[in-house]
Amino acid sequence: MPLIRKPQTGTVASPAIQDVRAALNASSADERWSAARQLAGQPGHDALLAETLMRESDPRVREALFTALARDGSEQAVAAILPFIRSSDAGLRTGALDALATLPQAIAIHIETLLADDDPDVRILSCDLVRHLPTADAALHLTRLLARETTVNVCAAAVEVLSEVGDARALPALHACAARFAEDSFLVFAIELAVRRIGETGASAPPAPA
Amino acid sequence: MADQTRKKILVVDDAGLVRRYYREILESAGYAVDEALNGMEAMERLLQQSADLLIVDINMPQMDGLSFLRQLRRKPGAPGAIPAMVASTEAGDDDRSAALAAGANFYLVKPLSREVLLEHAGLMCGQRHG
Amino acid sequence: MSTILPATEEELRRLCEFLYRNTGIVFTETKRYYIERRILDRMAATGATSFAAYFAQLRAHASREIEHFINALTVNETYFYREEHQLQCLSNDLLRERLAARTDGGPIRIWSHPCSTGEEPYSIAIWLLENWPEVDRHEIEIMGSDIDTRVLEEAEAGRYGRRALMRLSPELIAKYFVQESDEQWRIIEDLRDSIRFSRANLVDPAGTRQYGRFDVIFCRNVLIYFDDGARRVAAENLFENLAPGGFLCLGHTESMSRISPLFEVCRYNDAIVYQRPLGTRHG
Repeated sequence: MPLIRKPQTGTVASPAIQDVRAALNASSADERWSAARQLAGQPGHDALLAETLMRESDPRVREALFTALARDGSEQAVAAILPFIRSSDAGLRTGALDALATLPQAIAIHIETLLADDDPDVRILSCDLVRHLPTADAALHLTRLLARETTVNVCAAAVEVLSEVGDARALPALHACAARFAEDSFLVFAIELAVRRIGETGASAPPAPA
Repeated sequence: MADQTRKKILVVDDAGLVRRYYREILESAGYAVDEALNGMEAMERLLQQSADLLIVDINMPQMDGLSFLRQLRRKPGAPGAIPAMVASTEAGDDDRSAALAAGANFYLVKPLSREVLLEHAGLMCGQRHG
Repeated sequence: MSTILPATEEELRRLCEFLYRNTGIVFTETKRYYIERRILDRMAATGATSFAAYFAQLRAHASREIEHFINALTVNETYFYREEHQLQCLSNDLLRERLAARTDGGPIRIWSHPCSTGEEPYSIAIWLLENWPEVDRHEIEIMGSDIDTRVLEEAEAGRYGRRALMRLSPELIAKYFVQESDEQWRIIEDLRDSIRFSRANLVDPAGTRQYGRFDVIFCRNVLIYFDDGARRVAAENLFENLAPGGFLCLGHTESMSRISPLFEVCRYNDAIVYQRPLGTRHG
């Protein structure tokens, strides 16, 4: 029988924490990756993780750094991740957003500010973060945004998420937006579809059980 | 029209309404349309069925459009050479340069009108990248 | 317009788009009736009084409703030779690739994680013994792990009922099982002694690291039960437990595209699998 069965192995000893922190600087990406993963779920390393993220170029290590910060999920961790949604590097933006998507409660207090950011790119990306909030909150944020927003692509991003989270209360803002941007064929199309998806039965749903 | 003679376009965008918009316009013009929500799913779709043109967004979860294009362009043979148009909300020159460097043939800023979409689809379908 | 559901076409599309975004499963027009039936079942089960109310529950991940909904689409009972196409891929392609890539001559290591009551690791063993021409030329180490020690005990004991064996021919059953009663068969001792069962937690790297690196890992129909954060960690752990160039097989409705960018997707005749890249370059 070619099948073999190896004996039970012992557990791997955990290295000292200061060695793990130092390994974030190792020359090998494997070592840095391993160090980032070992710090995940351990409090008190946000500052070092964030600092490492700013100079790390290996995509796998960056991913592990974001995961480690997201696992912490503290105020400081979220504050460390947020700036990366402004990065000129698409991979860093995606990494940050994916990490923040796992922290809906922690991101909630930042949403209003993000949706009012001067940079339309930030407002666009923040609409997608709103998707992870409780439905009623998400719909309210986006309806308010839609009422004041002047950049067509931000409206489009808000409409996309509203098509998932919206109910009848979003309809006036959607219709008003379609009127404001009547010459934009995509936005008019998107709003019409969103309205149909929210639908007649989209009258305020009872709150979902926790 | 037999399915094999229709040009196939893979639309890669995490916004369902955008994918739907492109699909309706392209299908009414006679193209076969497939969809993916991010770069990884796009790679999976391409492994199952090749495409004559890719329309790719940049900001998508798990794998952004530029990472996808870089990975795609490393593939040997036909899959690596599929022409790609990036259609993104990012409007800066840096974004355009980055997209072209990653392997896009064209870079367009959203939203796309029906005319612009069809004009570029007609131009690019069946061309090769590089 | 739906014929049985109190919802319009677009409202139904909203639900399908939501599920597609979260799971990667495409709900095509041909599955429409089946999905509507499923929604009605779940509305009854959850007490949702309207389609909108049900969608609200789904969105809120209330009582993990997404998993309940998806469960009906994947047959979740475990049996021998389940998803046989992946076993075919293993013997037709994956092992050959691994042997070509490796020069160390060590055993081929395959992990079934989670292994539940053992059908999967035993299936892999039987399949290879029966279908892989090279099987006698290599050492093969198969390990089965689960977080639940009760199912591990059952796996070690190796006793199964008629339903678990339904995909196996009478010849295979006669060869690899001993019939203990009208409704119970037991895996032969040689095979039971050849597979190692161990407790492991997909989300805990400290626990899984000790098992070293594998050539192929089967991790089927479990990641869907994790939340987004746990899923990412599990993907990283699976990556770490794979040798560079090693392969990961998920359940047939699952996709890494909703979980993690670490893996590259590979297509073979029989299956689509994920691979830890060979080199250091990524993305």
